[in-house]
Amino acid sequence: MRALSSNRAVSGVGTGSGADTRLAVEAAVDEAFRPLEGREPDLVLVYASVRYDLPTVLKTVTAAAGSAVIAGATTSGQLEGGRLIEPGEGIAVLALAGGGYRFGLGHATGVQADATRAGRALARAALDAAGPVRSPHEAVLIFSDGLAGDQQELLNGIHKVTGFQIPVVGGAAADDRSLAETFVFAGDRVLRDAAVAVWIGSDRPLHVAGGHGWQPTSLPLMLSDVDGQVVKELGGRPAREVFWENFRPRGGPDTKLYKKAGGYHSEHAFGLIQPDGSLLIRGAFIDSDGNLRTFSPMPPYSAVQVVSCAPDDLLEVGEQVVDSVVRDEEASVVLVFDCVARLDILGERGHEEVRRLQQAARGARTFGYYTYGEFARTTGVAGYHNATIAALAL
Amino acid sequence: MVAYGDAQAPRFDSEAETMRAALSRAEGAAAAAYRDTARLIRLLTVIGTPSSPGRLIDRTLTVLSEVFAADVVCIAEAIDDRLFVTASCGLPEDDPAFTTGWAVGPTARRVINSGSAAARHGVPPEDLPPPLRDVTTSSAAWIPLSGVGSEYAGDLLVLYRSGGDLFTPADLQVLLSMAYRMYSAVEARERGAAIERLAQAGPGLARHLDVGSLLDDAVLLLRELTGTDSTWILTVRDELAEVSAAADTGEDSGKRWPIPAADLPGWSRLSTGEAYVGPGDDEDPMMLVPVMRDGGVIAVLAAKGRRARSFSKSAVEVAMVLASYLSVAISNGELYRRLKAREQELHRRASRDPLTGLANRMTAAQRIDETLADSPTGAAGLLFFDLDKFKAVNDRLGHEAGDELIQQVAQRLRKVVRPGDMLARFGGDEFVLLINGASDLTDLTDMGRRIQAALADDFPLRGERVEVTASIGAVLGRRGTATASAMLRDADAAMYAAKARGTGRLEVFDDEASHRSIDRLDLRSDLSEALDRGQLSVVYQPMVELKSNTIRSFEALARWRHPERGNVPPDEFIPLAEETGAIVPIGAWVLDQACRQLAAWQREFPEARLTMGVNISAVQLERGHGDLLDVIRSAGVNPSDIWLEVTEHMDTAEDISSQVSALREAGVHFALDDFGMSYSSLAYLQRFPVEGLKIDRAFVAAMNEDQNNGRGIVRAIMAVADSLSMKAFAEGIETQAQLDALLDLGCGFGQGYLLSPPLSVERSTDALRAQRDRS
Repeated sequence: MRALSSNRAVSGVGTGSGADTRLAVEAAVDEAFRPLEGREPDLVLVYASVRYDLPTVLKTVTAAAGSAVIAGATTSGQLEGGRLIEPGEGIAVLALAGGGYRFGLGHATGVQADATRAGRALARAALDAAGPVRSPHEAVLIFSDGLAGDQQELLNGIHKVTGFQIPVVGGAAADDRSLAETFVFAGDRVLRDAAVAVWIGSDRPLHVAGGHGWQPTSLPLMLSDVDGQVVKELGGRPAREVFWENFRPRGGPDTKLYKKAGGYHSEHAFGLIQPDGSLLIRGAFIDSDGNLRTFSPMPPYSAVQVVSCAPDDLLEVGEQVVDSVVRDEEASVVLVFDCVARLDILGERGHEEVRRLQQAARGARTFGYYTYGEFARTTGVAGYHNATIAALAL
Repeated sequence: MVAYGDAQAPRFDSEAETMRAALSRAEGAAAAAYRDTARLIRLLTVIGTPSSPGRLIDRTLTVLSEVFAADVVCIAEAIDDRLFVTASCGLPEDDPAFTTGWAVGPTARRVINSGSAAARHGVPPEDLPPPLRDVTTSSAAWIPLSGVGSEYAGDLLVLYRSGGDLFTPADLQVLLSMAYRMYSAVEARERGAAIERLAQAGPGLARHLDVGSLLDDAVLLLRELTGTDSTWILTVRDELAEVSAAADTGEDSGKRWPIPAADLPGWSRLSTGEAYVGPGDDEDPMMLVPVMRDGGVIAVLAAKGRRARSFSKSAVEVAMVLASYLSVAISNGELYRRLKAREQELHRRASRDPLTGLANRMTAAQRIDETLADSPTGAAGLLFFDLDKFKAVNDRLGHEAGDELIQQVAQRLRKVVRPGDMLARFGGDEFVLLINGASDLTDLTDMGRRIQAALADDFPLRGERVEVTASIGAVLGRRGTATASAMLRDADAAMYAAKARGTGRLEVFDDEASHRSIDRLDLRSDLSEALDRGQLSVVYQPMVELKSNTIRSFEALARWRHPERGNVPPDEFIPLAEETGAIVPIGAWVLDQACRQLAAWQREFPEARLTMGVNISAVQLERGHGDLLDVIRSAGVNPSDIWLEVTEHMDTAEDISSQVSALREAGVHFALDDFGMSYSSLAYLQRFPVEGLKIDRAFVAAMNEDQNNGRGIVRAIMAVADSLSMKAFAEGIETQAQLDALLDLGCGFGQGYLLSPPLSVERSTDALRAQRDRS
């Protein structure tokens, strides 16, 4: 019965792994395209570890995808259908057809130099590519070079084109926690210092959600001195000192932190206090020079709180986010953008997270990657997050 | 200090629960306080950060959206009953709000009119813009931006929030303060940007030395700087205002210019140097800014538009700066024009003859070369001419009259000149006419005739009628071979050739003339040095009493032995000497030689009662050329033994008459040489104290030719001489038949080769000795 009346999209997800790029990507593409039963996909998303020969990955996908819109990013691990693909391991491909969606692809470079301009150009290009007829419901899916420029500025530029009514979702590209080079994909192009947008038009409402599960461990503080990504003073005192003072591991003394090469304490971050009292999370760490540094610059004189999290909170919020975007049974796939910091904190429980996310997605299939930043703009202009999980159902 | 979130705190204790709740409230209050403070500081920081006006607005709206959780923040401008969005955070860039605007809702209207901010929760649809009409619950805040309470208020900052909380009075206070600051900052930066634009454009304006193009540029700049629909610049002269430049949307106000400046709106302010902002004729707001100079209004910058902001204080300030730029640029332009005019005048003076305004020598030479280069026929004609009797006029009526005659002549010649031709004065009475496009000699002779015809009528001068003729030399120069200097030289030579043939003649230069002219030029220069170099000598031709064949007199004749050319005939070098003025020293020298020689012969041959004839030129008789009488006396001869021979060509200028009278009174005799060769005016003979006529050799030669009635002419001349009690002397007797005929007619004296050629002193002395011995 449902099949008769449904306009549900058909989607397939495939993964590939191993040292050989061609074998890995071919395996992923074959598996992803199989459920489409020969139908040409409208949208293909490609997530890959930076370890692969990326031009080969994209060439192979392009060859199979016909006229589909192809976008994607490098990752720090992927998740699909309840399965965690560890950072550094694989390639994941989503092929989607039908569902009444219209897609338009745009990209822009020069994010580092002028993120606002790039954002605006990107959104205009994607809107133009989506065609002259506007859809009743629209959203913008973006992938950005997570190490290039001010991501909120990028979003500000996009916002000028979308306006307040069109939600934005997506993730910053990652590089298996190396923090060296990340790439985004547009068609068969592999781009740095760039961002890619897919303008999505739909006859059904498109839901975007984001959540973080972090809790404040300090009183509100004034970010009294900040220089780009380096936080110098909090409330007029040396920032690092104040930051450390407010460390309160919420997971209890037994919590096993995921140990990573940088050794930073992922379980503490900043929360930018929003007008409604909510917090925008900004990951922070002590760099090799001893500076307190964030992944993305925080506005000077912002009101912030030091925040921390417990794995249970993170798991719970993930479920809520996915649940909130899957409102009916029409959803075919849930696109998930999960911060690698969450994975770091969850450690071994990362596998549990992806299972629970898939359960929350009900009949839809989860497809996502671990990011260096997440986009979930729904109200206001602010919408760039750290240590957050964001999702969109198609 | 509260130990916040301490993991060791008892979790299930009720006291602890109470404390936790209190803590949570405290935290909420602190967060709210920090958030409010932070948003204030963030806004101030954004407003204080250097950027362009556009970016400042953009950044401020983005931060407002962030810190007030507003879905849409925009700046809108009320024009009539529409709100046009000029900047926004939250509206897509293609929203019609930017182009066609929204209807001004009741709350917005109230805010515009009252100048007070307003907030509403559960905003009624009529207060919501179309993109927010679907939102079920919404809050909005309207903040007046500019000109609060002023006549042209109309800019608003509007924030819309879907769902969420009411904008509180505290929020409104923050927003009002921010709006004011942002607006001030924007204005300051707009002013800064406009001043910067002006600073860039200012030198450009000053470069315009033409006021018209200056104003054309300035009016566009004014429109750009004020952001208005229409701008124009009025110039004010003699209390009338006239539109001199306009940049508008093409609407016709129906006003007819010029209008009295006093009818301009706000003229009383403008005339004191202040700007006027207020309603124009059709009630639309307008701005008028005076451009002042020396305390007076020379122009008015005008701008009109429906947007109140166009006439903000900063816009007026910018326009005032532009006005002062313009004042300077207009002055510069005028100074430049004066300077240019002066330069042109100087150039004109350098290139023009000041007396006639014709081209001068320098310009003529330049034009000849240009014409040769550009002429469609590849040739150019040149006429070189002077006025035949000009010197006489100058001498008789004075130099001022001479100048006046030159001006009159120039005036007539101008009418002859065709477009493209050039008439020049070379100084004195010399003119040059360049004929553009001349192709053959006919063109030259035609033009020469036109010149002569133009001069044919008498010229009225100082109550007299003066006849003027021109001697014209013509030359045709061809591109590639001719040059200005060569053409001038050749035409000059041709003119002399013409002059040699008489007055009012035209001579076309040819190769033969060319050689002659070059010879003449060389000779002229050699002649000036001949006397000093001892190349001149005097020979003496006996004048014989025909009946007795006795030498009664000698005619002293100058001879020039040129070191290269040998003997130069007197009829060649004497005219040259007259032209160059060398005749004065040469003539004086010859007279001196002749007188001394006569004195010597008179001492040796007293019985011969010898006299001496010496040719004299009119120039020698002019004032200032020494006293001939002194020369005669100092040689020790009796003036009455001297016959000065003059020619009929000698002009009767008044200033020779005193010299002539003095000579005559001293006893010096005058004889008219070559009598009958040109027009013989009996009145002239009467006026001039001539006592002898020399019958020209041509008449003597013709005496035996019946067909020419040869003897009749000689007889007639002798009759004239007789009737005026003059002596007649025959010249050029070369045959016995001539001698017989002259004797037959009763001619007393004669000379010629038959009797004796001109002799050196020695041979003359020999002849006198032989004569004495004979007798």
